[in-house]
Amino acid sequence: MRSDKKILAGNKRLAWVDKYRIFVLFALVFLFMSVFAPRFFNVFNLTSIMKTVAMNACVAIGFTIVMICGQLDLSIGTVITFAGVLGLSLKGSLGYAGSVPVAIAAGALVGLFNGLLVAKAKINSFIVTLGTMTILQGAIYTLTGGNTISLSTPDAFAVSDFLAKPLLPLVTPRILITVALVIGFELFLRRTQAGRNFYLVGGNKNTAWLAGIKTDGYTVIAFVLSGALAAVGGVFFAMESSAATLKMGDQSLMYVISATIIGGTAMSGGKGGVFRTVVAILTLEMLYTGIILFGLGNEVKIFIAGLILAAVVLYEAYAVYKHEKEVGKRPELVKELAVGKPGAADKPA
Amino acid sequence: MKRTITLIAAAALSLSLTGFAFAAGGQQAAGGDVKGNLEASLKVDTSVLKSADNQLLLKPSTDNRKVPARPANPDALPETDPLHWYDMEWAGWNANKSAVPASPKTGAIGKKIIFIVHGDHPWTTACTLGAKKVADAYSMTFKPMSPNWDLAVQNQMIDQAINERPDMILLIPLDAKTAPQQARKINQAGIPLILFNTLPSAEAMNYAIAWTGPDDFGQFRLLSRAFADELRKRNPGAKEIGVAYVQHAPGGSPYFARCFGPISEMAGYAPEIKTLDKQAPGFEADKTMQLVSDWLTRFGPSLKGIVAADDSAQSLGISEALKKAGREDVLVVAAGNSKQGMDLVKEGKIFAITYQTAEGDGALAVATAADWFNGKEIPMRKNLAQHIITKKDVDTFYPPQW
Repeated sequence: MRSDKKILAGNKRLAWVDKYRIFVLFALVFLFMSVFAPRFFNVFNLTSIMKTVAMNACVAIGFTIVMICGQLDLSIGTVITFAGVLGLSLKGSLGYAGSVPVAIAAGALVGLFNGLLVAKAKINSFIVTLGTMTILQGAIYTLTGGNTISLSTPDAFAVSDFLAKPLLPLVTPRILITVALVIGFELFLRRTQAGRNFYLVGGNKNTAWLAGIKTDGYTVIAFVLSGALAAVGGVFFAMESSAATLKMGDQSLMYVISATIIGGTAMSGGKGGVFRTVVAILTLEMLYTGIILFGLGNEVKIFIAGLILAAVVLYEAYAVYKHEKEVGKRPELVKELAVGKPGAADKPA
Repeated sequence: MKRTITLIAAAALSLSLTGFAFAAGGQQAAGGDVKGNLEASLKVDTSVLKSADNQLLLKPSTDNRKVPARPANPDALPETDPLHWYDMEWAGWNANKSAVPASPKTGAIGKKIIFIVHGDHPWTTACTLGAKKVADAYSMTFKPMSPNWDLAVQNQMIDQAINERPDMILLIPLDAKTAPQQARKINQAGIPLILFNTLPSAEAMNYAIAWTGPDDFGQFRLLSRAFADELRKRNPGAKEIGVAYVQHAPGGSPYFARCFGPISEMAGYAPEIKTLDKQAPGFEADKTMQLVSDWLTRFGPSLKGIVAADDSAQSLGISEALKKAGREDVLVVAAGNSKQGMDLVKEGKIFAITYQTAEGDGALAVATAADWFNGKEIPMRKNLAQHIITKKDVDTFYPPQW
């Protein structure tokens, strides 16, 4: 039988892995690709990775907050497309100064609709956001007539060039916006009472309510943030591409869900973080880029992404099993009781 | 904890610097006997190469249609007017090529080309295989990339391709209207570009050496004439013949060419043929089957023909729906030529498909790149050979390319 100290050490190790796994994974992937993947470690490629990550990172901020609240938002992909289409379609009449806020507000409105149905009508978020996703898809096709919205005017290209051009090594304006949002929301969630309340709502809604937290309000706000941030990601991506295709957000949903889980946000809510999700997105993107640079195909990329996700899910299952096994057990207390004085557990046998 | 993080950071930094050295060392110096290389390249004969279906890989195009004058405002014309689609059908003919680099005339042998497709599909595999056959003939370094239908990934791949500084990038734009910005970026990086397969919007052609691929509008105009002739034969004297269109994925040029190509062609050639409906159900047989079953209920015997943008999954769905409804009278044509499509033609379930060589598509793009390296004059557009496959000659196209 394992000694109490070994159990404690094991638990500590598990807790360490749990806390820092995404950073360890990030470091390993970065090191491996930097050494072995041809032309991985150079400013141009790293900037390209950051640019690719920028849209999904923005979207993932809101999605993580929704998941911390113990909910799901499946509409993020279509909100990306919707905002991109809206931002570019209205540019002619409102200019970007008008069309971008309208697109972001539209995303927030979609989030508000989702949030109210989830919080007030008590409908499962999976069903609600699946419905919103379908409605929005129809709206997008109706709005565009099946056409991609594109802008080939010199001023649209000028904005596109501005958003894509690095201000500093690795940092384009679009990346800067994303980094600012990530830092802002990470600090908000960690350092403010309102931010921490999202964790309480997701961790145990009833307890949060008993503690005087307006749980419905926080749920609605989480969805509004998710919609607005998905719109921010979509509209800035469309502006940089000078085009919004009808499928531009299609791939984001699964990608963001995977990254959020890999980053350590619990699907049951109450645990996780924006920064971790973004690090997970960066890790996945570095991995995908490396795979491409090695000349391997898309099937390898999907396979490896699946393996990582499976490993994380398995690990989560193991951690839950381990936690449930240890619930109520306090080896140090048992030892103290046996010896008869507090702190005995810390002394060598 | 701080110690661990510091150690990880230090290891990352040192290994990254090693990686940087590796990456820098990987670049090869250019040089060699330029004249000899050009002469040797000009001697390479790709005209004998064959695709998996035993057809010539690089069949010369037989299309000799004259390019019409551009109307002042094509969008103002009705969608049934062929000139409404001028900027798509004839994209590139009026391009301003002032920003396109001139041929180095150093020969195609040994050049490095990066071949970026749109996504994974059996068609893409065949297309890449055809491209590689020509690249191998010139001993080119050939690197294919596939973004799996994701625009953000395709944009990233373009960045990575630029980062590798190849001698040329060959690109299938994921979307006609996102192509200008992609082409512009490659052009600004000073890398020659050939666009192929799906037609980009006209603006993109200003930044590319050429576009190569199937003349989708032309193919479908040809196909719609054969379709109209057969419909007339089956419905003699009919004042109205109803047809419906199963469309390609919205956004790309096939979405327009394979639906509005025949609509605008038949508006002039066979005005009695009327459009009942057009829908894009995607590329799943069951969804197409559902769509066609709905049409059969909604339009009943008025539905006489279906034009499909795809001869594999979509056509399987169509033929299944017609079989279930016992409607053998509905005439089907589709864009081809996959195994399923050719099998359906053989079985008589599809009347005709277009010959759309996947291998030839990739091969033509690389052959055009080779011609450019060899200093040959490159037309703004190079089309694949056109042909309509029917039951009469379908056997000559076996085994299928994909």
